[in-house]
Amino acid sequence: MAIDGLIILDFAGRPIIQSGFRSAAPAYPLLHIDALNNALSTAARPDDVDPVLYVPSLNIDSPSACCHARVGDMRFVCPVSGDIDPLYAFAFQQTFVDILREYFGHISAETLKDNFDVVYQLLEETLDSGGHPLTTSQNALRDIVLPPSLLNKVLSVAGVSGLAAPSTNPQPFASPIPWRKAGVRYNNNEIYFDVVETLDAIVNKNGMPVVSNVWGRVESNCKLSGTPDLLLTFNNSHSLTDCSFHPCVRLQRWARDKTLSFVPPDGRFNLMEYRFAPTSASSMHQVAVPLALRCVMTLEEHGGSFDLTLTSRLTTRSMENVTVELYLGEGASGASCVASHNASWSFEMKTLSLRWELKDVSPSGSYTLRGSFTSTAVIPRLSRAFRVHFEIMKHSFSALKIDQLKLTGELYKPYKGMRGKSAGNLEWRW
Amino acid sequence: MSGFRAPPRKGENFELSADLNSEYREKRKDAIKKVIANMTVQKDVSGLFPDVLKNMQTDDLEQKKLVYLYLMNYAKTQPELVILAVNTFVKDTDDPNPLVRALAIRTMGCLRAEKIIDYLCDPLQKCLRDDNPYVRKTAALCVAKLYDLKPELVLENGFLETLQEMIADSNPMVVANTVAALSDIHTAATAAGTSSDAFQITSVILNKLLVALNECSEWGRVAILNALARYETVDEKESEHICERVVPQFQHANASVVLAAVKVVMIHMRHVHSENLTKQFLRKMAPPLVTLLSNPPEVQWVALRNINLLLQKRPELLSNEMRVFFCKYNDPLFVKVEKLDIMVRLAGENNVDALLSELKEYASEVDVDFVRKSIKAIGQTAIKIDVAAERCVNVLLELIGTRVSYVVQEAVVVMKDIFRKYPATYEGVIPTLCANLDELDEPEAKASLIWIIGEYANKIDNADELLSIFVDTFTEESYPVQLQTLTAVVKLFLQKPDGSQGLVQRVLNTATKDCDSPDVRDRAYIYWRLLSTDPGAAKAVVLSHRPPITLPRTTVSQPLLEELLGEISSLASVYHKPAETFVGRGRVGIDTVQRKDLEPADERSAAQKALQTVAAGQQSENLLDFADDGAGDGQQPSGLAATTVLASTPAAVNILSGTSSNPLDDLVSIFGSASMTVPSTQPPTSATPLVGFGFAAPATPSVLQAASPPVQQAPQDDLLGLF
Repeated sequence: MAIDGLIILDFAGRPIIQSGFRSAAPAYPLLHIDALNNALSTAARPDDVDPVLYVPSLNIDSPSACCHARVGDMRFVCPVSGDIDPLYAFAFQQTFVDILREYFGHISAETLKDNFDVVYQLLEETLDSGGHPLTTSQNALRDIVLPPSLLNKVLSVAGVSGLAAPSTNPQPFASPIPWRKAGVRYNNNEIYFDVVETLDAIVNKNGMPVVSNVWGRVESNCKLSGTPDLLLTFNNSHSLTDCSFHPCVRLQRWARDKTLSFVPPDGRFNLMEYRFAPTSASSMHQVAVPLALRCVMTLEEHGGSFDLTLTSRLTTRSMENVTVELYLGEGASGASCVASHNASWSFEMKTLSLRWELKDVSPSGSYTLRGSFTSTAVIPRLSRAFRVHFEIMKHSFSALKIDQLKLTGELYKPYKGMRGKSAGNLEWRW
Repeated sequence: MSGFRAPPRKGENFELSADLNSEYREKRKDAIKKVIANMTVQKDVSGLFPDVLKNMQTDDLEQKKLVYLYLMNYAKTQPELVILAVNTFVKDTDDPNPLVRALAIRTMGCLRAEKIIDYLCDPLQKCLRDDNPYVRKTAALCVAKLYDLKPELVLENGFLETLQEMIADSNPMVVANTVAALSDIHTAATAAGTSSDAFQITSVILNKLLVALNECSEWGRVAILNALARYETVDEKESEHICERVVPQFQHANASVVLAAVKVVMIHMRHVHSENLTKQFLRKMAPPLVTLLSNPPEVQWVALRNINLLLQKRPELLSNEMRVFFCKYNDPLFVKVEKLDIMVRLAGENNVDALLSELKEYASEVDVDFVRKSIKAIGQTAIKIDVAAERCVNVLLELIGTRVSYVVQEAVVVMKDIFRKYPATYEGVIPTLCANLDELDEPEAKASLIWIIGEYANKIDNADELLSIFVDTFTEESYPVQLQTLTAVVKLFLQKPDGSQGLVQRVLNTATKDCDSPDVRDRAYIYWRLLSTDPGAAKAVVLSHRPPITLPRTTVSQPLLEELLGEISSLASVYHKPAETFVGRGRVGIDTVQRKDLEPADERSAAQKALQTVAAGQQSENLLDFADDGAGDGQQPSGLAATTVLASTPAAVNILSGTSSNPLDDLVSIFGSASMTVPSTQPPTSATPLVGFGFAAPATPSVLQAASPPVQQAPQDDLLGLF
């Protein structure tokens, strides 16, 4: 009941790194790589390939499946044989990607190739050759696999890495709390909370949201000494529904009075995820979409013209990184537009879509994009919706605030900080 | 590196070998890294085995890890050399550093070389009782690996007993790994056919597992939850207790923990009889399922497949959450298709308007496959919700008005189904449909329209003209269209005999003489014989009343559904097929199946038996229908009449299976397979499986009976069929 291993492929489908496979046949991983590459090349769109592929085997009695997901320019592949949970594979992939991000910052095929020794060690520590994930808590991992640091590199170039190496914790896993390492010391005790909320909405022609959901996440960065026991209360915790928590959170306490009581891991972690439900009673509880998009579209043979107006509904804040995208259909060959306010637009041949970018949308501001496009198709079949993305800094849809942070178990008084950040992914039908 | 050294270059391996034997440790370490790098890019560095081995004894943990990595990779090809490393391994398991101890025991377990195994037992014995939990938990997993290679060694050394004791370990991580190891051994033992008392969960162990559940890592939780799913409770109270303890896991951030918890609750809820508690559990189950949809598409897909299954058993689970499943333009196709299916499943009178406007929106999208599926969904909605049928028909008419070829064709197919469910209700639509006759080029759409024309031949003034178009091109059409044309013309003749005699002659002639499909020929002969001997009987057969179709509540049979619900989150529940059909590891062996039959207690065999019984019962029901009809009043079997209704179905199934790997989504294929896979459908519909045989079978009940054994086979084929 476990996954068979992990293979990381580059964009061309060649393996970069793979874990040791227990399976006797060395061809086993290759079979999966091949099956995946085949499926990808035959699919009309690579993203439409079923995420769990059935892989027939050379010997008939042991077929298997291949769970794959795209991460940046790479693909993470987990072959599974036996009736196991594919989510287990996906969850492991996700965890491993998170670990890699934590170790290397940005990850790409290049970074993995440059740091293959660390990646190998990480693989060894996180995935048993029998396919059981081992240590995935980043706090514990840092004890046993040293992240590549500048110091290490400098020392190794200087030829004295022997001096720097033995800083691994001699007593790993001595901590009684699995997610927190023992004996952490900081000069400044601080903890930061980032509330990141994403509005996910579909808006119909009349500008009314058909569906809108706000998914929120509380990310924290904890730099506290010792074993602090925290009690966190929010000002409007009743509007948070469908919560899921980091294992450190005491669930019973949340069920009782909606407060978060926990001993935090050290460093960065996701404290909780939630869905924001404004007025819990009515069924139409929806968050207002902070912008409006008006579109006049005239379609002709071999093309069409459009007139887009984007208006911010915010009165005090400005929106950043607003992008509006429209797929112009098979055969689209070009576009020419005029954008107001120095906003930029582009037509991407690869995705056949028109992209309008506004770095900064001022409160109540109104922006336009006029233009036309051409297509080799007689009747261009455009997508029926614009994809709109935006960000709002220092804002959260739920207006979630920390009421209080109590610390017990340690004597110092921590500095606490909190930030809000919102983003939106809209589908705006026209 | 040192490119200067080798004008007569002896290859990179030669240089590496020199570096590996260098007197400077830095140089040696760099060389090891290079060796591993070469190994990664599939270069053969196995020749360096002895050189690398020399670097195994070192204080540098990182270097040690790299050397071990190399060993694991090449141990299979160089087993006789690995033996040289044994001493170091054994020594390392006594190292003061727990990391080294754990590393050594883990690597020895992975080497899979017979020679190493014999040296593994003593160190393993020690490590299982190590002071350090990290070593213990590593050693626990090593036992499972040893069992895989040499089960007798595990039994001889009493490792199993040690593992069973370790369930009570003070460290939750150790407990989790022990459970994982025991489960592995249990699976391996079951597969090998030996009695599997390796991991008997007693109520004492149960309590330990429930305690550890809240404290260990996410992976450990999954292992424990899977073990809990296997546990057979002694009474209802215990089932309730397990459910209550597992429910908090719904709030875990890891999706795989959430689904495993859902599985455990679904399994143990079967024994909970309190209506209130069941409701309470279900209410708590909904939010985490919805939350799963905010994950990346691949996780969403797995979640959706499982939600689909859960909804078949518990339709009330997400009744207010349909909007969550609305598709976004940039969702991958596989996610959209699943969402669509679930939306129809959740459709009710209160939300049908929102659903229809959404489906209409999808029908104007770019993606052809998705557009077709959306239009099908409109048809499914019409069939599912009577009061909304008219609204659905209006939406379909609007879509036909777009005159986009594939939209029109799909809409025509869907209209046929609506006519079958609501006969003689929407005749006003027929002219619009017929107006699009020229645009149809897909066999299924053509066949559907022809069926409609034949069915309402007496109400369409120019039915003979329309049909003669198809008779003219008869031999060029595909078989489904031919079959439909044949039937429609006969229907026309029976209803309006005056003007269509010539047409019927012509089509029967062509079909019996120029057609190369035995199905078409046979049917033509039957009609011919019927019409020439007893037109009254022909009328009774061809124009008999047909049962309205219904939308099956489940896409898989009831017993299979129960079984799949017991395997929620696994591949079986993703593919909606029992695990035996697609996983290996000896689970499909004949003796396994036989053994299962011998154990009536085994749930799966019970389910299979139930399935067989149901299928057999359904068949006998059909045959009874026939006997009654046939013996009763000289009416020929209604099954043959059903032939005309469903004649397009097998073809439809073929066509659809071409566009989708998941035929369960398709309305028409549901009609085709509904009665085969869904014993729960009403008897009228269940008369349809004979249709496929009715084509070829002469109309005597005795032959139909003879033809029925293969039908009886059909459900199993269908269920156990591979992908």
